[in-house]
Amino acid sequence: MAEFTASVFQNEFLSDGATDVHAIVTVTVAGAGQAGQGQGMAAGEIIIVDTSGSMTGENLGAAKHAASVAVDQILDGTWFAVISGTDTAARAFPYPNARLPMVQMEPGARAAAKQAIAAFQPSGGTAMGTWLTLARELFQATPQATQRHAILLTDGKNEHESAQALSQAIYNATGVFQCDARGVGSRWQVDELRQIATALLGTVDLIAKPADMAADFESIIKQSMGRGVASADLRVWAPQGSEVLFVRQVAPTVEDLTTRKTMVNPLTGSYPTGSWGDESRDYHVAVRVASKPVGSEQLAARVQLTVRDEVVASGLVKARWSNDDALTARIDPAVAHYTGQTELASAIQDGLAAKAAGDAATATVKLGRAVQLAAETGNDEATAKLRKVVEIDDANEGTVRLRRDVAKLDEMALDTASTKTTRVRK
Amino acid sequence: MDPVVSDAPDEIAEIAEIAETSPPIAPASPQPESTLTGSDEAPAPAAAEPLAEAPVAAALIACPACATVNDPDAKFCEECGTQLGELVEVSADPDAADDAQAEPDEATSSTAAPRRACVYCGGSIADDGYCELCGKPAQSERDHWQEAPAAWVGGVCDRGIRHEINEDAMALAADPQVGEFAVLVVCDGVSSTPGSDKASLAAARAATAILEAGRLTDLADGHDDEYAQARWSGRMLEAGERASAAIYEAIGELAARTNPPSCTFSAAVIDGPLVVVGQVGDSRVYWIADEGKSRQLTTDDSWSQEMMAHGMSRQQAESAPQAHSITRWLGADSPDEVPHVVPTYPTGAGWILVCSDGLWNYCSDADDLSELVHRVVGSVGTNPVQVASALVDWANEQGGQDNITAALARFDSVVPTPAQPA
Repeated sequence: MAEFTASVFQNEFLSDGATDVHAIVTVTVAGAGQAGQGQGMAAGEIIIVDTSGSMTGENLGAAKHAASVAVDQILDGTWFAVISGTDTAARAFPYPNARLPMVQMEPGARAAAKQAIAAFQPSGGTAMGTWLTLARELFQATPQATQRHAILLTDGKNEHESAQALSQAIYNATGVFQCDARGVGSRWQVDELRQIATALLGTVDLIAKPADMAADFESIIKQSMGRGVASADLRVWAPQGSEVLFVRQVAPTVEDLTTRKTMVNPLTGSYPTGSWGDESRDYHVAVRVASKPVGSEQLAARVQLTVRDEVVASGLVKARWSNDDALTARIDPAVAHYTGQTELASAIQDGLAAKAAGDAATATVKLGRAVQLAAETGNDEATAKLRKVVEIDDANEGTVRLRRDVAKLDEMALDTASTKTTRVRK
Repeated sequence: MDPVVSDAPDEIAEIAEIAETSPPIAPASPQPESTLTGSDEAPAPAAAEPLAEAPVAAALIACPACATVNDPDAKFCEECGTQLGELVEVSADPDAADDAQAEPDEATSSTAAPRRACVYCGGSIADDGYCELCGKPAQSERDHWQEAPAAWVGGVCDRGIRHEINEDAMALAADPQVGEFAVLVVCDGVSSTPGSDKASLAAARAATAILEAGRLTDLADGHDDEYAQARWSGRMLEAGERASAAIYEAIGELAARTNPPSCTFSAAVIDGPLVVVGQVGDSRVYWIADEGKSRQLTTDDSWSQEMMAHGMSRQQAESAPQAHSITRWLGADSPDEVPHVVPTYPTGAGWILVCSDGLWNYCSDADDLSELVHRVVGSVGTNPVQVASALVDWANEQGGQDNITAALARFDSVVPTPAQPA
């Protein structure tokens, strides 16, 4: 059985008149088991490969190989399908004439799926919304598969449908399946794939070289198959009269969950977190409560993980008012660390956006701030990636100069990695 | 009494046994409001002897103030509006209630015990020990409880805001008949000394038990006034002794400390028209007259009182840093623990108010306090628990710097006094 724990890191002491309570809640799952192994549970996996004309050559060859490797990683018994995506979506496996929308993995199906993948022919354009829509329809036609995950690979922009159509498809797929999105090469749009991955509780990443694709696919499917907890929600209770300022995942990546809230009851919001393997995720919760007299104590939030509406882990965020400055002045190191990491993510994204828009001044300031924050919070990966985009004069001061002739791939690598955080040294 | 006790539950049982004739809550109706005990193991059942026969779930709730029977899930009494539900089984046993402040990590309760009500907002207390509505921590019974041995006698003992623990204590006993007989004892533990919360509760209960027992045995002796005064004076001294002995028993090894646990002692016995007060320290007894002059019936054993005796103004003396230094107390290191005893015959309708400095600190003068009580009565009526509760709320609104206890007995009608010629 999976074991769940929640730990709270905060300074519960507030000065007289203070109202805002911040805490980092670390939720850890151990013994999650494998996907689809629980009673009455089955996993579903769909591989979506861009087979548009732009994939012609090395990319498609690598994508075929990667998709085959992925098929090898899918556990027997898992419901699966393969979609080839162009300006329309086509089910490549089960074959278009098959009766079932998805089939359960077994050696024969595995071999047949690989044959179907080998037959991919590049043609046409790119309309990712149609791919997501077909994946959703296949999953919805396979209610036996209760834990649903897809991997989407593309190399290009979403050129053959409107942004609105993509948004609508993403919206419709939200809550139906999770999706990790990968871009190969430098012609795809980070924000498009981020939009998909964020809504569908997945990750976005860059595969710089086609040769790296297989290893990446393998690890994604392995991770997906290792998620024995099909679906969990984060619940945040805050007292009557208070206001939840935000709820953010801050590790392993920054994701603002605030807008994903649905209310369980008037005081409790629920935020979907998707499936869990053996892992740890950190959440930053901020609540504004009415100030109380010095000496008072109250609960500012209950942060809970629920599986099928059952609370499996619970952390208590407290507030205690004190007039002892030594107690109230301290900012919890975890809160400080992740506040910095969150600002780092937005500084990188804002800086790159400004640079792309030709606003060199803003880009310099933002990326300079990012360099400073990366140094302060010990995010060496971010520092290394920033270094490829800017010349760092003084990391502590955040003084940088924009590099000329930056490789597009380096910018994209910085962008996709911007939300990855380093753990606080607790 | 054979007070060789080694651990807390026995000790509690011992105290409860001493006070058997005066269970702190609603003796007329021995049904518990509920069996809400927070998230931990059940409290020592021995302590709840008068309550033990009651069914575990779905017990009807007898209002502690007026004894009206209410629905099991009622939050407030239908009849008098007294808050129900926060008085739990451990109300016979405030010491055990530390359990209610369980550490959150341990608060994964497995039992589906009925939820207790939050004393602040009426919401229910979750297994983690905090209210599901307002988020305030559940009060342990030791932090806040009320007693109402009769409809005309009641009190509230409260931690206040600034102090981490409630070192005040009270113990009350009364006949149902208004004005007939009552005992009100308030003890304020010395807060610089760990264990004073145990000391004060043991002292208050032991003293009340002795004083109440005194009435039972002495009743046959009749009501000769002079004799009654002398008899109660003797009883009051005995109550002081027994309270002091109870402290020793309650605190165990802490008695050997340089600063052993100790407490004040203010007691009022109402025996027909006669009121006898006993005093050690700086808790107080007031006569709050409905009309006419209200008076403080006790004299503090305190630095500020001594200063006032030497001519310093009350305001000046009571606002000085040393104002709260007491010159006499009950406890192992006390130089003199014999209560000063004063008999008195109040006239007319009014209140006997026994309180700790957590209340009178905000309203020391008898006239000011009288005004406050009248104002409170004007808004909540004459139910003594309601009045005490409102006084505690008021003191908390003033800052709640100390533990607060207010115990009241209501004299509704004019009782004849021997001072008036028959």
